[in-house]
Amino acid sequence: MSNQQADVRDSASHAPATGTLLECTDIVKGFGGIPVLRGISLSLEAGTVTALAGENGAGKSTLMKIASGQYRPDGGTVEVQGKALPAGNAQAAHRLGVAIVPQELASILELSVYENLFIGRELRGPLGLRRGAMIEQAREQLAVFGLTTDPRKRMGDLPVGIRQIIEIVKATNTGANVILLDEPSSAISEREVGRLLEVMGLLRDRGVALLFTTHKMEEIRAIADRVIVLRDGELVEDQALANLTDDDIVTAMIGRELEDLFPERGVPSADVVLELDELQVPGASEPISLTVRRGEIVGLAGLVGAGRTELMETVFGVRKAESGEVRVRGSRVKPGEPAAAITAKMALVPEDRKGAGAVLPMSVLDNGTLPGLAQFSIAGFLRQRARRDRVGEVMDSVRLRSRDLDQSLETLSGGNQQKVVLARWLTDDVDVLLLDEPTRGVDVGARSEIYRIIVELAASGMAVLMASSDMPEILSLSHRALVLREGAVAGELSAAELSGAEVQDRIFRLASGLEVTEAGTAAAESADAPRKDA
Amino acid sequence: MSNPTQTEVMRTVSESGDLRRFSGPWFRELAIRYAMVIVMLLIIAFFLYRSARFGTVDNVTTILVAAAPFALIALGQTLVILTGGIDLSVGSVIALSAMAAAVAAKEMPDQIWLAPIVAVAVGFAAGSVNGFVVAVMKVPPFIATLGMLTLASGLAFVLGDGAPINGLPAEYGQFANTRVFGLTIPVILMIIMIVGFGLMMRRTSYGLRVYAVGGNPLAAQIAGVKTGRVLYSVYAISGALAGLSGIMLSSRVISGSPNLGQGYELDAIAAVVIGGASLMGGRGTVWGTALGLLLIQTLNNGLDILTVPAYWQDVIKGVLIVAAVAVDVWASKRRRS
Repeated sequence: MSNQQADVRDSASHAPATGTLLECTDIVKGFGGIPVLRGISLSLEAGTVTALAGENGAGKSTLMKIASGQYRPDGGTVEVQGKALPAGNAQAAHRLGVAIVPQELASILELSVYENLFIGRELRGPLGLRRGAMIEQAREQLAVFGLTTDPRKRMGDLPVGIRQIIEIVKATNTGANVILLDEPSSAISEREVGRLLEVMGLLRDRGVALLFTTHKMEEIRAIADRVIVLRDGELVEDQALANLTDDDIVTAMIGRELEDLFPERGVPSADVVLELDELQVPGASEPISLTVRRGEIVGLAGLVGAGRTELMETVFGVRKAESGEVRVRGSRVKPGEPAAAITAKMALVPEDRKGAGAVLPMSVLDNGTLPGLAQFSIAGFLRQRARRDRVGEVMDSVRLRSRDLDQSLETLSGGNQQKVVLARWLTDDVDVLLLDEPTRGVDVGARSEIYRIIVELAASGMAVLMASSDMPEILSLSHRALVLREGAVAGELSAAELSGAEVQDRIFRLASGLEVTEAGTAAAESADAPRKDA
Repeated sequence: MSNPTQTEVMRTVSESGDLRRFSGPWFRELAIRYAMVIVMLLIIAFFLYRSARFGTVDNVTTILVAAAPFALIALGQTLVILTGGIDLSVGSVIALSAMAAAVAAKEMPDQIWLAPIVAVAVGFAAGSVNGFVVAVMKVPPFIATLGMLTLASGLAFVLGDGAPINGLPAEYGQFANTRVFGLTIPVILMIIMIVGFGLMMRRTSYGLRVYAVGGNPLAAQIAGVKTGRVLYSVYAISGALAGLSGIMLSSRVISGSPNLGQGYELDAIAAVVIGGASLMGGRGTVWGTALGLLLIQTLNNGLDILTVPAYWQDVIKGVLIVAAVAVDVWASKRRRS
């Protein structure tokens, strides 16, 4: 009964949803005197998907928060279907049909899926909550979006991608016809991205106006009808996608041409620095052997869940290997102890920057001191001058943009945080650099700088092992690439193969198990095995 | 008719901010940065205004003497809270170590110097157990130290067969009552400890490790910090300081009581939180704790002088604790933006 009512209300709210649904006019906003948005005007049409592109700090998230009533603009107006949105009133925006799915999801992990869907508008009967009815309705709503998830499952047990779609389902259920998605693909796997794009297409067909931010060109190509580019708080591009090339978009984002995103690679030496000898990562299907030479960048490709992060963490001792060993410059590194790995001159830049890389409440200086504590202290006392000088030096070398060394990390942009997490290892000599998704969540401008730093570090004599889901990164940065599947090496690609045609297809086939001719054994024997004996 | 040039001048001045600096933002800035200090000064000013006795040297000494035993456990608590934990057991550990010291003094009156060593050792042992349970067995700190709270209190009663230990040699009182430069040993110890811990947290690699473990344990581990050791150490230190506090308290009255220190953990936690520390870990300072501690002790003392009935004192204290933290939350939000 109430289900039908919901349908009636849905169709009622969809029928008039044509033309311009959301219109922002001359939006101005600053924080602490620093302008973030300088007069942005845009409008969203029913049944369209608009991509909001721009580097980190360009003002994308702020614009979304104003459009959804979370922030009050300093100037300008937001209109929803011709009605003015009261400034800074999220509830009013919600009532007018504007929903936002934030980057950090607001799901209640301890509650079930259906409880999350119905929270705030629970179905009640004379005997209290009508759980059965809610479960049934939730199941139907999920089915519309192609989800067969049991609505009684605990939200926290589901992958982030599914949670995100459930958040979108929740937004549409409450009658939203303008949906804002803030970096919806930043935390989910490639397979889940596919499903997300399908859901967005479905919503477009139902007449919803969608606005989403992303760092990935493929996603813009796959779903967007229109592209809006922000740079330094100004709208620099607003065009139908068909009129724009990828280069146009990138150029608009960074304000200059980007022919040199990837710098020239150096020439690796013959001398082997890092050796994995039959290293059995916990949970992997077979042990891994590989070598990395001085000055060499070895890429690790593979699908999400192929075991790249696990391999990195095992090499560095965050996880303990079940058998086999890691050798640096010929000597064995004690397993299961990051401190031992650091003593052996290894460094790890982890995938999850906020969770594992940076200590956010601490300053740049303190974060920079942490890995090199031994060299910066005498009898336990910190050498203030020495550490300030040295940390300052390395942060300059990566062109960190911060107010000063005492600025806390949580106030820096993602790209700058990543520079700190990388540069803090450079206060001391490093022979082996382990990079896990070094440019995740980093904008294009900072990305090219990080590439330059990686190549320079390799050229200075480090052995670099780099896991990445970003195909161009693997192809253009690494001297050699290994493809992992189920924790084992599925194949190896030489430099020549990496620059060859159809290499992407080959990597995909190896990663997904479609091509098994060159299994792990073959890869281990090729290229580096004879060199080890020599 | 107004003179157009005049209005124009007015506008230029106010826009350039020269005028505003002397009205709103200037004071606001100060209030935001030193919110807690200002609250403290206001309270002191109020008591000075209401009572002639409040400002005397004698009374200031009284405040310091009362503050000393709390200061020791509040310092330990600061370290624990910085790692994102909590130590609920310090009150009971005070009782247990005081009883142990009293037993030692009673059994070996000739070796009276053993008493403080016994107290600190017992406190350290209790803290080590906490540290082991938290760092190695991974039991949540709240539960681990809640267990120790009950256990240590039980042991304290066992040691005295359910009663206080009296009739200790008079020399037992020397630890708390000897004066150096006019100050008693606990007060001197408090000052040394606050300065020492303050420097330790800012200037040593140990201090940096504690902040890192509290701010992000996984990131600290990847940066080579042995997080388990750091966790263990803060509980052991907290326990040892509770032991030190125990011998000071029982020496002052030359007896050991199993009820000593009861509820002290709450005042210690309040002092740390008033001092601006986050219970999530990674944020807070020793100086903040010292300020929070003095705030509580000044209130206790001032309300006593004004002969406010004891129960009303608690009501006022409760309100002020929450108000002080609310002001700090407001100020730190402004500070960050």
